[in-house]
Amino acid sequence: MTEREKVGSGGDLDRALADLRALSGDMASCAVLSADGVLLSSSHGEGVDRERAAAMLAAAANLAERAARREGKEHVAQVRVDAEDGHLLLVRLEGGGTLAAATAKDARVGLVLYDMRNARAGIEGATKAGGRS
Amino acid sequence: MKKLLGRLVILGAVVGGAVAVGGYLRGGAAATDVAHVTFDDGSSISFASNTPEGEEFADIARKLVEMGV
Repeated sequence: MTEREKVGSGGDLDRALADLRALSGDMASCAVLSADGVLLSSSHGEGVDRERAAAMLAAAANLAERAARREGKEHVAQVRVDAEDGHLLLVRLEGGGTLAAATAKDARVGLVLYDMRNARAGIEGATKAGGRS
Repeated sequence: MKKLLGRLVILGAVVGGAVAVGGYLRGGAAATDVAHVTFDDGSSISFASNTPEGEEFADIARKLVEMGV
């Protein structure tokens, strides 16, 4: 069973991510990960190892949640990681899922995070419509 | 005796200063904040590149930026 088949139609979620990418020009790619670490939708191209991408996104989300527990916080709201060639951004979705995005080094990261937070409700709705969280 | 104590104090200050400057230079070059985590209550924490968490975040981010999420 492919990842896409596992997700079901995924149409609403794919559309929501496509809208987000169209809105946020500095976003290179974006994805939605379920609370249990399944890649529900992703904008990355053919040839990218989806399972590897999902595992790394889940590792980043878990690392952030560990930091939250250690600091005595309930949950993480967002994460920004600055890499050599760009930025990795994570926004927590209702139910524990994660909206993730990668940007180039010179991206307006604050603006991308703002767009991600604004898109969160629509993505949560699309995720629920697909029967996943 | 007083003279010897004075010299010891000066020597201690010089050695201490050298150690402090060395530590500052080593630390200053390595420690940049790479990961910024904001919690649901609005508070946040940053991880420097020379911490285990910072290294792990940076490693994951480097790979994901390279391949796309």
